[in-house]
Amino acid sequence: MIQITNLRKNFGTTEVLQDISLTIEDGEIYGVIGHSGAGKSTLLRCINGLESYQSGSLTVDGQEVSGLSGAALRNFQKETGMIFQNFNLLNRLDVYDNVALPLVCWGKKKNSEESRQKIMDLLQLVGLADKVHERPDNLSGGQKQRVAIARALVMDPKILLCDEATSALDPATTNEILSLLLKINREMGITVVVVTHQMEVVKQICSRVSFIKDGKIVAEGKPEELFILPNPDVRQFLGGIPDILPKQDVNIQLFFLDDTAGDHVITDLARERNLSFSIVWGKIESFRNNALGSLVINIKNEDLEVVTEYLDSHKVRWEKMEEEA
Amino acid sequence: MGEILIEASLETLTMVFWSTLFSVVLGFIPAIVLTITAKDGLHPNRPVYAILDFLVNVFRSFPFIILMVIVIPFTRLIAGRAIGTTAAIVPLTISAIPFVARVMESALRSVNSGVIEAARSFGASDTNIIFRVMLKEAVPAILAGITLTIISLVGYSAMGGAIGAGGLGDVAIRYGYQQYNIPYLIVTSVILIIFVQGVQLLGNYMYEKLS
Repeated sequence: MIQITNLRKNFGTTEVLQDISLTIEDGEIYGVIGHSGAGKSTLLRCINGLESYQSGSLTVDGQEVSGLSGAALRNFQKETGMIFQNFNLLNRLDVYDNVALPLVCWGKKKNSEESRQKIMDLLQLVGLADKVHERPDNLSGGQKQRVAIARALVMDPKILLCDEATSALDPATTNEILSLLLKINREMGITVVVVTHQMEVVKQICSRVSFIKDGKIVAEGKPEELFILPNPDVRQFLGGIPDILPKQDVNIQLFFLDDTAGDHVITDLARERNLSFSIVWGKIESFRNNALGSLVINIKNEDLEVVTEYLDSHKVRWEKMEEEA
Repeated sequence: MGEILIEASLETLTMVFWSTLFSVVLGFIPAIVLTITAKDGLHPNRPVYAILDFLVNVFRSFPFIILMVIVIPFTRLIAGRAIGTTAAIVPLTISAIPFVARVMESALRSVNSGVIEAARSFGASDTNIIFRVMLKEAVPAILAGITLTIISLVGYSAMGGAIGAGGLGDVAIRYGYQQYNIPYLIVTSVILIIFVQGVQLLGNYMYEKLS
C-alpha cells in the first residue's frame, strides 16, 4: 500500500506539490492525471525515491521513503519498476541485454539458466520473443515500451510506476500497451500507478484516479465519476461541452453513471409524459468496458418540473445548465 | 632518404602511440570526476568541479613548446632522461591529458539523462551507472574523442625535435626547411597526411561500427 499524507515539495521557491494526500491500495491501477507541469511526474518520482520531498509523509508498505538512503534506498527501488515516456533504453544494448541490465547491476549473471529463463519469460509476456537480439533502433515505439516494461519487471517489483508511458505512442499502440499493463496487473498482481495527461489511459485501465492541478489534488474518485460528472477544474481540462447548445428554453444535462446508460429513460420520458424535446448534445464513453455517458436535452420551460420529477424518480442524475453570459 | 624517413616514421608512431595510451588512461580519471561533480551529474559538487575545470583549462592553454621545456625536470624523473623519443612521450602525455579529460567529459555528459534515470529507478549503484550505463552508451563518442586526440598528438609530436625526439616533423624541419631540401618537405608532409587520414578513416569506421 502506498500512503501519501500532506506531501509537499518545492524546487527553489516554486511549490511543485502542495499538500498531496492519497492512498493507493495493493493490486489496483491508480491514475494521476493533469496538464503537463502540474507536478504529477514529480509525485511519481517521490514514490520511488528519485525525488525527495520537503514535508509530509510517503510510505510504501509502511516504510517512509524519505527515510531511506544508500543501499536501503537502492534495495527499495529494486522492488519498484518504472517505465517512461521516452522508453529510456540503452541504444548500444540489444533487447536481451537491456532487460538483463537490472539483473547485471544487482550482481546476477545475465546468461545463467535462471536469468535466461526469467528474461525469456518476460519477453514472451510482452510479445517480443522474436526480437531478442534486435537493437532498440530497429524497434517501433510500442516495441521499445514493451522492452522497457520487461526491464521494469525483471526484478519482480511489487509496484510499477508509469510516467506518461503511452504519450509518445499512436492510439492503436497505446491501446496495446494499456492492455499489456492491465494483463500484468491482473496476472502478476502488481500495483500500477500511471501518470498521464491522456484521458483515454485513465478511462481504460484505472480503477481510481486523482486529478492534479498546480500541484494540488482537485478531484479524486472513480474515473467515471470524475469524467462524466466533472467539477469545474476537471471540466476545463476535458474541454467541456461545446458552445452549440440552444439559447432558448432550458438545457438539462443528464448523467448516466451506471447501467442506466443502457435503459430507455429518454424515450420512456417522451412517451410516458407525452413530451417533445430535442437532444442537443451527448457522449457515451467506455470505462473498462462499462458504457457510461452524458446527454443534454433542450426542453420547454413549462416542462421543467415534469421532467425533473421523472428523472428523480428514475434515479438519473441531472443538472440544469446555467446560461452563460 | 628512405632510411631516414622510415626511422622518423617509427619515432613518430612510438611517440603518438604511447602518449595516446597514457593520456587516455590518465585523462579518464578527471573526466569521470568532472562528469560526476558537474551541475547535472550524479553528485554535483561545485568546488571540486570548479577546481578541476580550472586546472584542465590552465593545462590546455599552455603552448606545447613551452610546456615541453617547463616539465623537463619532471620528464627526467619519469623517463630517466630529458631528451629523445622516450622523453618526448612525457610532455606529449601531459599536454593531452586535459584534452582527453575534456573530450571524455563531453562524451559522458552527452549520454541521455533519461537512461541514467532509468538505471537509478531500478536501484543501480553509482559505479554501475558510470560503467554499465554511461561508459557503455558513450563508447562511440569516446572513440571519436580518441581519434581527435591521436591527430592532435601527431601535430604536437612534430615539435618533439626541439628536445631531440626525432620524428617526421623533426625531419621536415631539419632536412626540408633548414637545408632547403624540398623533396623531404613534401614527402614528410605526405606521410603525415596519409597517417592522419588513416587514423580518421579508422576512427570513423569504428564509430559507425559501434554506434
